[in-house]
Amino acid sequence: MIGSTSLELNGLSVRFGGLQALDQLSFSLQQGEIFGLIGPNGAGKTTLFNVITGLTAATSGEVRWQGKTTAGLRPDQLCDLGIARTFQNIRVFSDLSCIDNLQIAMGCNDRRAALELLGIVELQEKGTHLAGSLAYGEQRRLELVRALATKPQLLLLDEPAAGMNPVEKQKLQVLLNTIRKQFQLTILIIEHHVPLMMKLCDRLAVLNFGRCIAIGSPQEVQEDPLVIEAYLGRGA
Amino acid sequence: MEVWLQLLVNGISIGAVYSLFALGYTLVFSVLGVINFAHGAVFTCGAYFTYIFLGGVVGSNGLLATQKLPVTFPLAIALVLAGFTAAMVGLLVETVAFKPLRRRGAEPLLYLITSLGAGVIIVNLIQLLMGAEAYALPSNILGSMPAVLAIGHGLQIRTVQLLLLIVGGVTMLILNIWLNQSLSGKALQAVAEDTTTARLLGINSGAMIQLAFAIASFLAGLSGGLVALSVNIGGPYFGISYGLKGLGVLVLGGLGSVPGAMLGGLIIGITEAFVPAKLSAYKDAVAFAFLFLVLIIRPQGLFGKPPIEKV
Amino acid sequence: MFDISLFVLMLLGALLALAVYLPLRAGQLSLATPGFYTIGGTVAALLSTRVPELGGNEQTYPLTSVFLELMLAIPLVALLAFLIGKPVLKLKGIYLAIATIALVEILRVVLLSSPWFGAAVGIFAIPQPFEGPEGYAAAFAVLLGITAWGCQRLETEPLGREMAAIRNDELAARCMGVNSERVKLIAFVLSAIIAAAAGVLAAHFFNSWSARQASFDASITTLAFVVLGGSRTWLGPVFGGLVLTALPELLRPIGDLRLIVFGLVILLGPIFIPQGLIQQKRS
Repeated sequence: MIGSTSLELNGLSVRFGGLQALDQLSFSLQQGEIFGLIGPNGAGKTTLFNVITGLTAATSGEVRWQGKTTAGLRPDQLCDLGIARTFQNIRVFSDLSCIDNLQIAMGCNDRRAALELLGIVELQEKGTHLAGSLAYGEQRRLELVRALATKPQLLLLDEPAAGMNPVEKQKLQVLLNTIRKQFQLTILIIEHHVPLMMKLCDRLAVLNFGRCIAIGSPQEVQEDPLVIEAYLGRGA
Repeated sequence: MEVWLQLLVNGISIGAVYSLFALGYTLVFSVLGVINFAHGAVFTCGAYFTYIFLGGVVGSNGLLATQKLPVTFPLAIALVLAGFTAAMVGLLVETVAFKPLRRRGAEPLLYLITSLGAGVIIVNLIQLLMGAEAYALPSNILGSMPAVLAIGHGLQIRTVQLLLLIVGGVTMLILNIWLNQSLSGKALQAVAEDTTTARLLGINSGAMIQLAFAIASFLAGLSGGLVALSVNIGGPYFGISYGLKGLGVLVLGGLGSVPGAMLGGLIIGITEAFVPAKLSAYKDAVAFAFLFLVLIIRPQGLFGKPPIEKV
Repeated sequence: MFDISLFVLMLLGALLALAVYLPLRAGQLSLATPGFYTIGGTVAALLSTRVPELGGNEQTYPLTSVFLELMLAIPLVALLAFLIGKPVLKLKGIYLAIATIALVEILRVVLLSSPWFGAAVGIFAIPQPFEGPEGYAAAFAVLLGITAWGCQRLETEPLGREMAAIRNDELAARCMGVNSERVKLIAFVLSAIIAAAAGVLAAHFFNSWSARQASFDASITTLAFVVLGGSRTWLGPVFGGLVLTALPELLRPIGDLRLIVFGLVILLGPIFIPQGLIQQKRS
């Protein structure tokens, strides 16, 4: 399906006092692709997520979603428009059950659908358990399906593989490809684990100091001298 | 013109007391991130302690009726002693109402409740022991000094007001120097900035918190004594309005900001002084109006850090 | 030997506790309850003492007039709560608490200073719709019943879940599609309505009314009802309100020590029973 319904960044900049968190970002996502964001800590990746989801305002430039600018829209409005996310530090609703976590995201009472979604990440047994009582990895999975429960078209994942062992990372990769097809999603993913990103993503953008220093297929990006310099230092 | 300046003088001297009091809130807030709702009660203690140390006799309604201290201290000593005694009360409050919650990492709401409980106990103990009536400090405390001094241009200042200004100003100066120049002062600031890192650097954050409480309570006690000097003690509940106004100063200056508390107190004191006599009944609302406006327009106040949430 | 007047006070305490509980359920520490309570009572006091037409012909004040007072007070506070809530609820945590304290204090000072509202003395000789405390007990019980039923419904409605989500993590809730502004405002307005309705009845019960009702002490005490009773389900505040209102009265025999004991309960409660007495059942 050819998408005009995709995410566009036009000269997006965000400044916090003296700090330029994002600097003239301009690129677009193709509908249905898995697009990766990598870069050192503090490069602005989570800030970008915050702007896209309406938590932070852009200082200049804009984000366009489905052909319209997102400026001034509230996070819950953007969610209704099809953008969902997970968080770098897990933010499940700890005092609520897993099913309730999903029902909130779905916006209605539908236990059956909630359990189905939990099934995707093998959490259906823990439906009535409080989210706070789950293990770390389980909470990450819960956060993922909670985002799915909002019926998004664009899914933003902030370090979904953090704290996972290689087996879990492999399962995550398979899972992401599956849900991309099943739910017809475009996925924007921040991750530090570069090999995973190389295998998973259709395209990558590398951020450093808020600026996009390279963008393209994993192969292209890997061989980009600017990227090598940013990650490994000069003369590597 | 003279009237204007006179009001300014009035405003600054009461403002100095507000600042002293609010500094206590600020110190505790900066190291613990919570507001100590027993602060007003400690202030009240300071007022009553000052009365006792000046040799005052307990009124006939309390359990300690007609008792008095066998010694009478001069004003300066009495104020300082009252401050130290208040500091001990403050430390007791910390140990009983705050430390157990700290150990558990309890949510801020609970500190609110326990400190309120402590405040209720303190105020009612005072009532039990001293009775509910008003107390006036002995009228001869100023000794041979006149009650009112002329300071030129037709201005007058009550000696008591001058005292408030001097004591308040000097105390704040000492506090500032201590915070910024001394090792323990800097350690306190470190804990205020980031408790975990401070601990990793070997600073005993528990001790620093106790230190903050002790100093804060000393300041509260001292300001209580100063207020008792300037107006009389209305009863065990007279500290409540100061407690609430202190919140106004705290917010105006910025939660956790020492210079903010100092400036905020002066601003509110001066503004109150300029409320026209016809509207004097609404004077008390000044601090709260400030408070509310600041919160709506600029919650971090003058010098505080904007409340931002990290995603 | 059961003191019905005390029972009325207990029911009132439970109602006010529920009023504080609602915003708390959405994660908002609002101490504005005494303010709306005072406004409700003031409306009732003013109408019943200044508008003789409402007096009716009987010995007792007609119930229809009480209804009228409610019909006036409720939309009034709902509007006020809406207007105030919009800017104030943007504040978080302790800032919100302090803002509401400030508002209530301003209200208190303004009312106490204004002769129209009876100044410091307040409004007195408020007519009685009931001859004895039994009538009031019934009226308060009905109001409490309605409120409790509403809160129970909330537990299962999506709105109730959204409140809990906001309380857990407002930011995440917003990103999951919850319009937190709207939900918080609803909780705030509902709480104002409950407090005002309680105020209307209370003004008649107490026979006199002044802005002294709107005190900082009162708001923290009511908060204590919720925290000690348990803030996860509506039974907590009701229990806390009932028990802790009765406590100082029951302690009357020990005279002057009773407030100290009350203070001890508030001091030690959160330390030893942090979740409150009525805890949500965990699956």
